[in-house]
Amino acid sequence: MDFDFSDEQQQLREAVHKWVDKGYGFERRRAIVAAGGYDAGAYGELAELGLSGLCIDAQHGGLGLGPIEAMVVLEELGRGMVLEPLAALWLAAHALQTHAPADLQNDWLPRLASGQALAVLAHIERGARHRLEPCRTQARLGGGQWSITGHKSVVPVGDRADAYIVPAVADQKLGLWLVERQARGVQTQGYLTQDGGRAAELQLDHSPAQLITLDGLQALELMADIGSASVCAQAVGLMERTLALTVEYMNTRKQFGVPIASFQALRHRVADMKMQLELSRSMSYYASLKLTAPGPQRRQAVARARYQLGGAMRFIGQSAVQLHGGIGVTDEYIVSHCFKSLTQLEMTFGDTLHHLGEVSQRMDETAGVFA
Amino acid sequence: MDLAFTAEEEQFRQDIRAWVREHLPPAIAHKVHNALHLSRDDMQAWAKILGRKGWLGYGWPRQFGGPSWNAVQKHLFEEECAMAGAPRIVPFGPVMVAPVIMAFGNAEQQQRFLPGIASGEVWWSQGYSEPGSGSDLASLKTRAERHGDHYRVNGQKTWTTLGQYGDWIFCLVRTSSTGKPQTGISFLLIDMKSPGITVRPIRLLDGQCEVNEVWFDNVEVPVENLVGEENQGWTYAKHLLAHERTNIADVNRAKRELERLKRIAKSEGVWDDNRFRDEIAKLEVDIVALEMLVLRVLSAEKSGKNSLDIAGLLKIRGSEIQQRYTELMMQAAGPFALPLITEAMEAGWQGDFPGGVLANAPLAAHYFNMRKTTIYGGSNEVQRNIVAQTTLG
Repeated sequence: MDFDFSDEQQQLREAVHKWVDKGYGFERRRAIVAAGGYDAGAYGELAELGLSGLCIDAQHGGLGLGPIEAMVVLEELGRGMVLEPLAALWLAAHALQTHAPADLQNDWLPRLASGQALAVLAHIERGARHRLEPCRTQARLGGGQWSITGHKSVVPVGDRADAYIVPAVADQKLGLWLVERQARGVQTQGYLTQDGGRAAELQLDHSPAQLITLDGLQALELMADIGSASVCAQAVGLMERTLALTVEYMNTRKQFGVPIASFQALRHRVADMKMQLELSRSMSYYASLKLTAPGPQRRQAVARARYQLGGAMRFIGQSAVQLHGGIGVTDEYIVSHCFKSLTQLEMTFGDTLHHLGEVSQRMDETAGVFA
Repeated sequence: MDLAFTAEEEQFRQDIRAWVREHLPPAIAHKVHNALHLSRDDMQAWAKILGRKGWLGYGWPRQFGGPSWNAVQKHLFEEECAMAGAPRIVPFGPVMVAPVIMAFGNAEQQQRFLPGIASGEVWWSQGYSEPGSGSDLASLKTRAERHGDHYRVNGQKTWTTLGQYGDWIFCLVRTSSTGKPQTGISFLLIDMKSPGITVRPIRLLDGQCEVNEVWFDNVEVPVENLVGEENQGWTYAKHLLAHERTNIADVNRAKRELERLKRIAKSEGVWDDNRFRDEIAKLEVDIVALEMLVLRVLSAEKSGKNSLDIAGLLKIRGSEIQQRYTELMMQAAGPFALPLITEAMEAGWQGDFPGGVLANAPLAAHYFNMRKTTIYGGSNEVQRNIVAQTTLG
């Protein structure tokens, strides 16, 4: 039982922290949002730091690091509200690395690791809400070639990514395929999202696809849990920053001749924010540490973490705006962007009510970190 | 970073578990598992069993007869005791006054008082709060005036938990009225059999007498019962607070009580009611999150890195959780928590409880009783002040 970070993990954190501070300031981020919510240049800088290949194994040109290193990096990227979707990339790489045939791995993983290509998971369908099934997208095998028809929604950087990991149904069974954006029958419709990032609707019409695995549900469940742990890590970094901004503002802003930090009603709200932050940090560790546990335990732990973090994200986001007063609801000041990013994170890979339902269904007689 | 305890820590846990299983009287565990009334004898019986093993002072260093366990070992010991249904150790002697005597008492005081605390023979009480001094403890008025080789103590303490059983009481008393209120306070050990002491139990909302008023009317206390220096008592009291740490979160007991809540929900037919079940699920998440927070504190203490100054958070969260599980237990029973049959809260009662489920008898009383947790030990509002101070600077 040890929650200290190793020296290497600490150095990794500092490197990302430094890049965010120097390379991803509020003005640059604002410019990226104005230009469509994704910047290939910024993505290239992250790749140069080796981050695109963080979780890809060394034989495919990555660093081969694990969930805790991913968590460390994502806390820092979350803190900076970095829009370039590293977490989405790692998830796609995970699917390929864990399930895909060797030739598909060899084709894609080196390019993903180096940052030359970008692949993302495209799994959201209208009607399924936060569940991974039902899935209406269909896969068919004809003449030795798989093809996929269906519609996926809110795909991260969907109109910029080079390839998609697509869950679809073949013979009533969920599988995973890779579809390239340039393939026949692929149409995208891109848009900004509430956090300033980019997503797209993805239409597939008999689009050629390469099979990753026909045992897709288990694979997708694990991906969703990794995605949830990524949400937690980013949220911890962002909540920490949001609280720090609020504390700084309260010590600066004066009303009635004194800093508003002197008012007890506001101070107690800050204490409650600190509570939520520390509980969230604890549960984010818990989620990432449990990613390697057997399926049911992993699922239970991640759902618990997401329920805890979900309430915290909303409380800290809303409280930060409230404690800032008028400046908190402007676009020009950063705290509203923190609030919107936290709001979007809460609804990524299942929302808080969904995860509460998961916890509720999975309760055993005993409970606890080790139960 | 690693969630698992080490092999040595797991072995330690197994050893403790085996020992507790062998030595905890089943009749006492039965009462704890069902929230039935615990008598003085029950509490002291367990204290003496632990005392014989040298574990009543489980947080003590070896030089004073303790096991010198580290933070993780102490946590595991607390957890195994809680899950087995052991009564909570009455903290005033072994957890509260003993560390003060060790740190600030003289050798004679250590030899005189510590053995009785370690064995569980001597019951200690705490004399801090006064009618006019609750959260603002430093305003306390109970006076101790020096007359030759003794102090003469006059005043009143209140909310003295289980003081009706007390053999001795450690008190904060005013020995000076000059300067800041904190600087004129001394730490005095008082024999409760001294002439001039009157103890009056206060009946609380649950019908039980858990706390007392204690009056001091010209009580003579030998000067050798002063701990440390005169007027330095506030410093010693703060040292005492620092000794509470993770234990104040009481997360181990919460885990045990969550199991009981689930049993009650099943027996009352609300386990399959999604609206109720979701409330249990939320509590389960709260408890796991608190446990993770506690584990982080323990890890930080063990490694000496990244120290976490979050005792206030642990107190706030732990107390809220205690209130919540008692509330949900009562709600699970619904109308069958309402009959007030005091005898049904005693072990072995053979009467018919309305609704037929005897386990429902103590639920409302338990809920009422737990309102104290956000008030005592520094109210949660005071704790929020402290957290805000460290957060806002």
